[in-house]
Amino acid sequence: MNPEGDASPAAGDIALESRGVGHGFGAKAVLFDVNLKLRRGQFLSLVGPSGCGKSTFLRAIVGTHPPRAGELRLFSAESGDEGKVIDAPGRDRGIVYQQYSLFPFLTARENVAIGPMLDQTSLAFRCLRRLRWRQLRREQWRAAGDMLEKVKLADAMNLYPHEMSGGMRQRVALAQAMIMKPEIILLDEPFGALDEATREDLQYMLLSLYEENQKAVRQGNRPPYTLIIVTHELNEAIYVGDRLVGLSQFWDWRKEGHAAAPGATVVYDKPTPVFDTKTARNFERFTAQREEIRRVVFEPAPPCDRHQHVVYWREQTAR
Amino acid sequence: MNLAFTPPTRTTPIPMKSNRFALAPAAWLLGAALMTCAPSALPAPAFSLAWSEYPSWSAFGVAHVFKLIDGREGQTGPVEDKWGVDIVLKEAEYDPCLTMYGSGQCDAVCMTTLDALNPALGRPSVVIVPTSTSAGADALIVPKTITNIKQLRGRKVYGLAKSVSEYCFNRNLELLGERPEDYKYSNMDPGAAAVALQQKQREIEAIIVWNPFVLETLNKRKDVHVLFDSTTIPNEIIDSVVMAQASLDKPGGRQFACAVVDAFYQINQRLAEPATRDDTLIALGEKFSHLDLASMKKVVEQTRFYATPKAALDLFTGAELKAVTGRVVDFCVKQEIVSSAPKIGYGSQAEAGAVALRFDPAFIRAVAEKK
Amino acid sequence: MIRRPIKSSTAAFLGVLSVLLLLGGYTFLAHRQYQRNPDDTTIPRWSQLHKGLQSAIEVNRRSEDRWLVVDAVASGQRLFLGLAGGVAASLLLGLAMGCFTPIEAFLHPPLSLLAKVPPTAALAVFFVLVGTGNNMYVAMIAFGVLPTMTLTVNLAVKEFPDELLYKAYTLGASHMEVVWTIIFRQVLPRFIDAFRLSIGPAMVYLIAAEMVVGDVGFGYRIRLQSKLLNMSVVYPYLAILAAFGFGMDSLLRLLQRKLCPWYEPRR
Repeated sequence: MNPEGDASPAAGDIALESRGVGHGFGAKAVLFDVNLKLRRGQFLSLVGPSGCGKSTFLRAIVGTHPPRAGELRLFSAESGDEGKVIDAPGRDRGIVYQQYSLFPFLTARENVAIGPMLDQTSLAFRCLRRLRWRQLRREQWRAAGDMLEKVKLADAMNLYPHEMSGGMRQRVALAQAMIMKPEIILLDEPFGALDEATREDLQYMLLSLYEENQKAVRQGNRPPYTLIIVTHELNEAIYVGDRLVGLSQFWDWRKEGHAAAPGATVVYDKPTPVFDTKTARNFERFTAQREEIRRVVFEPAPPCDRHQHVVYWREQTAR
Repeated sequence: MNLAFTPPTRTTPIPMKSNRFALAPAAWLLGAALMTCAPSALPAPAFSLAWSEYPSWSAFGVAHVFKLIDGREGQTGPVEDKWGVDIVLKEAEYDPCLTMYGSGQCDAVCMTTLDALNPALGRPSVVIVPTSTSAGADALIVPKTITNIKQLRGRKVYGLAKSVSEYCFNRNLELLGERPEDYKYSNMDPGAAAVALQQKQREIEAIIVWNPFVLETLNKRKDVHVLFDSTTIPNEIIDSVVMAQASLDKPGGRQFACAVVDAFYQINQRLAEPATRDDTLIALGEKFSHLDLASMKKVVEQTRFYATPKAALDLFTGAELKAVTGRVVDFCVKQEIVSSAPKIGYGSQAEAGAVALRFDPAFIRAVAEKK
Repeated sequence: MIRRPIKSSTAAFLGVLSVLLLLGGYTFLAHRQYQRNPDDTTIPRWSQLHKGLQSAIEVNRRSEDRWLVVDAVASGQRLFLGLAGGVAASLLLGLAMGCFTPIEAFLHPPLSLLAKVPPTAALAVFFVLVGTGNNMYVAMIAFGVLPTMTLTVNLAVKEFPDELLYKAYTLGASHMEVVWTIIFRQVLPRFIDAFRLSIGPAMVYLIAAEMVVGDVGFGYRIRLQSKLLNMSVVYPYLAILAAFGFGMDSLLRLLQRKLCPWYEPRR
């Protein structure tokens, strides 16, 4: 475990803020008063019992399903101090799903290059200025190739998704998201369909991305990757992230005067140990924390006090 | 050649029966006993007649309705019993009737003598009875603004190609001293052509169709009229019943021909008698486009029935038939309806020799004499 | 055992055998018919078929044209115009319906009803609405294939996963780009499949209409020559129709393989 101190991202640099976000479908309440500030360069694991609204929260960040209450703000170099309220999907947020992340009609390289293409050119440009477009495409393809090399897929450039293994597909999907250099990358159960060995490889890859962040900070640069990973695997959540947030519908809402369940909210928010790619995986080190998360986030009874374990910022400021 | 006159023997069915009954000797004995004691228990030989809706051909459908004959296989009516045969009726559209007959799917068929020439080339045939002649049932219908045939030069005239419609059109042009080459005869189903004219569709200004489409069109569109029709060529478009020579030669074949002719005249008799006339006309109308009584009265005027054996015999034995048929054959050769001119014969097989199509009055006579 | 695999050579042999049996059976039938009646034209022998085909290819003495040529030009023109119109319209409609819910709600009920009306049965309606010229065939084929094809395209678009849609937006795609660059490419192979399946019905509508109102074309010639019992002309025409349908199908399959190498048809 690295001591967080010197190499951790700057405390004041916030990438995403969730202010009192509430969501629901019809009469069914899903999310209630979700408050969260995500630091730039942070890898945040989001866990919770099934039906707690993890995916809904992610969709709200993607912008396809904006929240019914509260607001989500995204901060970037262009947006200024107030940030930008998320109300629609945009190129500043990347997403990787468990499946359907890749376009089946494009090869690995094309799947990665399509982001820059859509971002930098328009339909009209591609139709009317063919020569210039061809030039530009060559550049984009080269960039896509570099990105694929980074995720160790140099040999799979021209394969179609159906010709690739599940692990390869998720690597391409990561490359596809990363090439856009988004403010935040969202991973929705990214390794849920993979076998154990492949899963470990990919977790390892995420750790190496985190190391890049640490390196950038040490050199006084802006960390390149900010990430939220939704997973049902507690070990994975603790291993990959540097902070863990638990969403749960099992909190003591009666005490706050609600007549009916208002939806899931943040009941757990604590830092988790940071691993590096050089040391062996050793899960015993966080057994205690895992048991705590299981009790607080996943057990329906007894309902917990929702503020008791949301201590991330308290610990940060106390430091 | 005289096969047709060999009396039908009962020897043929017996081996068949014995084969079947050999498995059960007791049944065989019983069957043999029945056959020797009561020959009438043998099923009457069955022959099929294909017909389509047309005033004089719907007579066969009506004969079934009036229970003179029973069109189902294995069932017989009084006329069938009288001749000891089983008439099986097959109703279809006109075109399928022709194909059915040409490919040997039925023994006899209702068709015009013009349409009989082509199948007769492959299947020697006999016209056993003329049923009617078109006397206005085929007509060229145009808007009232067109009063002279010359106005139609270079314009399309719609009607069924290579049919009596085209024949009627060409013959009338000839009679008017026009050359058919100056006109554009264009193929269209008569039903569709009639609808098109009734809908006042562009381009469709002249149609030559047959009844019931003539009557329908005249009823539904008042600004059209008949420029010419088949009244100018009486006894040329002859509706008839045609039977295959091979079927005639089968045991019971000649009796079948007689039964068909008999049924036709019995319906005509009902049409002739005032007491049963309207009832029969209504029944015919039900089998012909569901026309009502008033229309049917018009229809039977325009489709003149050869209602009596005498009328039919006059046609078959008269000199005019040969001239008309010669003209029809010429037309069919010129229009490539037939690949070569079929040989036509008149009278019995002995008189006519081996021909493709023969007009034989023997069955009409047989029916007239057996009264 | 059910579905026991066989060697490919065996499969090829069986396929060839069945075709040979078919041809042999026909030869036998034609020969028997010839024995019975040398003048028969309803089951022509091969020599008669050859003559029939010749008469369709040679310049006809009376009409001074080649039947097969004028018929192919007329029928082909009608079929291609009709198919092109119907296919293009159903692609646009299907995409619009799949992408925009109000359009789907508006068009789905009438289309699913119309898809159940056989255009051949509605022949008279087409006469009345569009006349009997070439327009009628084109309209009949176009409207005949349109409802089913539109619904197929619509369904394919609806099966496009939401995730990929969101994905495209996070990559900075505009709405038009999502439709043309993403969704269209994804449904293209399904669209080609639907196109392939609509060729058969389109030919049925064309032939049926030509049989009734045509004065040139395959349907017209087949009806007329059937009536005249010239099966030696009719059978070659049927064979040509079959070959045409087969050719179109193969061509589209090839096109699908070329344009969508990523597509694995579900078998």
